[in-house]
Amino acid sequence: MDVFLQTLVAGILKGGLYGLIGMGMSLIMGVMGIINLAHGQLMMVAMYITFVCFTYLGLDPYAALLITMPALFLLGALIQRYALNPLMEVESLLPENQVLMTVGIGMVLTEIARFIFSSDYKSVQTAYSSSSFFLGGISFSVALTAAFFIALLFTGFMFWFLLKTDLGRAIRATAQDKDAALLMGVDAKRITILTFGIGSALVAAAGTLLMPIYYLFPDIGSPFTRKAFVITILGGLGSTVGAIFGGLTLGLAEAFGATYIGMAFDDMIGLLIFILVLLFLPSGFKRLTKI
Amino acid sequence: MKGMKGTATWFMGCLVLAAWLIAGYPGQAAAADPLKVGVVLPLTGKLAKFGEIEQKSFLIAAEEINAAGGINGRPVQLIIEDTTGKPDVGRSAIEKLISKDQVLVVGGGYSSSVTWASVAVAQQRKVPFLVNTGSADNITEQGWEYIFRLNPPVSEYPQALHSFLKEKAQVKTVAILHENTLFGQSGSKEFMEQCKDFGLEVLMKEGYEAGAVDFKPLLVKVKAQDPDLVYMISYVMDAALLMRQAKELNLNPRLFVGGGAGFTLPEFQANAGEASEFVFSATLWTPSVPYPGAREYYEKFLDKYGTPTEYHGAEAYAAMYVIADALKRAATFTPEGVRAALAETDMMTVFGPVKFISYGKMTQQNKLPTFLVQWSQGKLETVWPKEVATAEPVYPFPRWDKR
Repeated sequence: MDVFLQTLVAGILKGGLYGLIGMGMSLIMGVMGIINLAHGQLMMVAMYITFVCFTYLGLDPYAALLITMPALFLLGALIQRYALNPLMEVESLLPENQVLMTVGIGMVLTEIARFIFSSDYKSVQTAYSSSSFFLGGISFSVALTAAFFIALLFTGFMFWFLLKTDLGRAIRATAQDKDAALLMGVDAKRITILTFGIGSALVAAAGTLLMPIYYLFPDIGSPFTRKAFVITILGGLGSTVGAIFGGLTLGLAEAFGATYIGMAFDDMIGLLIFILVLLFLPSGFKRLTKI
Repeated sequence: MKGMKGTATWFMGCLVLAAWLIAGYPGQAAAADPLKVGVVLPLTGKLAKFGEIEQKSFLIAAEEINAAGGINGRPVQLIIEDTTGKPDVGRSAIEKLISKDQVLVVGGGYSSSVTWASVAVAQQRKVPFLVNTGSADNITEQGWEYIFRLNPPVSEYPQALHSFLKEKAQVKTVAILHENTLFGQSGSKEFMEQCKDFGLEVLMKEGYEAGAVDFKPLLVKVKAQDPDLVYMISYVMDAALLMRQAKELNLNPRLFVGGGAGFTLPEFQANAGEASEFVFSATLWTPSVPYPGAREYYEKFLDKYGTPTEYHGAEAYAAMYVIADALKRAATFTPEGVRAALAETDMMTVFGPVKFISYGKMTQQNKLPTFLVQWSQGKLETVWPKEVATAEPVYPFPRWDKR
């Protein structure tokens, strides 16, 4: 029973973080209709900023959230404004070109990180990095639990933002029907820039929260891009609540797979669920949650 | 039409010129022409860190050799190709070294899976390959006459552990965790068989995919089995996470032992922090080994690059010297000549004595003793065998909650 409960806890906690990673990609995918294949690399940038803040300024990763999120918002907005939007204006280019552009951006970010920080593994060792507390024999990692609740907080906030604010409504309108949104006076270009910024800030939060428990090197981005992609499809494009459910599903599937099938099949289990969802629930959990 | 013909002529002219420049005009192989040595290493990708350490060590050694007059007056030229840590890229990298650069001999080869893929090319193209890190047993079990290996195979990593278990620590049950590529699979399989010979009961043996965020599902299973000894074959960052999460779960076997690779590196200690304390590891080399030049190499590396080196670097450094030694003795500067000279190698390096012998299923394999080290207050102490020990081993492992 302990094994079962510990696995459940591990899966849920990791799932919360996955949800945060997926949410940003999901938003971008919903509004722009493109897959941001530099998503994990943006997270990597946020992680390096966290690392620098911690190592050179002595700033705790949770405080660093206040730096990484605005910084990545800016970076994301600039990428959208100067690298992706110009591609949209060229009639002869396919939308796929934007996807290719994100791949390129991802590579450039990785190599810049390698140039500055070399390929060395870096990590942030805080007092709570490997501390845990026990509830009835089940161990909870302090950092992962904190990350889980902060992730929930962000999801709640995004949910409110998208439903209740004008800007949020404009984003949803652009996602649902861009032309109609344009006719209603929504500045679609501004919305895309904002969305990319918000998406990047969300993944920055995930990266910063991951930093105390994980480690960092320039090539860390691509496995997380892949995970974000799976979560986005699980959750349904553009759905914040769906992304959290997608993240939890992936986290739980990986944890239970690791315990009861074998940890060597980590990726296989995640991708198997991915295929099953595509086959039987093509629009993801969004179809169940509607948002 | 005329314009096109002109372009074609111009183009051909360029080609001829380029070919001439690349090949050097015939009959001019001056005595100072460098001797080309190919090296395949992962310089990007997640294994880049070790590729870099090995690359730097190769470069230090080559610099020293060239400064001391090279190979009978001719300098050694290293051509280093990036394998990115992927077997298919490794294959094309070595193909390129052999066909385009026409190297005499190939060195390097970091991860077992990439090395395994590249040695097959070397054998097929009849160019000698001195493996210095790839440690899966099967690499030297094929009877391939062009493949030599400097480092012990992964099955021999725990040699020192065996004598330690026999004389000092009495354990009965074992759990084996390994990363799931050729290196971990090969090492864990061999270790499991050795456990049987030793009369140890293997309670579980499980692989994991390197780079995982959360090892708790795996560790909680280990905890449920409650083994005396946990043996892990891991790359460095997985090793650090495994130990940190073992601490979080309060997993207390009598011994935590790492099977080489990740557990001996400074990064392991930096990332695992206090969770690294008292962890044992098998290792092939430490700066305190009783071989001439070992300490000097360590200091020189630290001086030059500002970061410490470790056993992978020592392997690369020694490999460069073995290659240079073979080149000096080679009857002809052809792959075949170098191969024959390599087979006759009998020398001392910072990594230990090197002589390629055949034993068991292995051919052209160097045989070396291994060491058991333990982390103690953030420092790596050699604890076994007794003759070279720098500290007494702490055994059994103090419980996490009683520290």
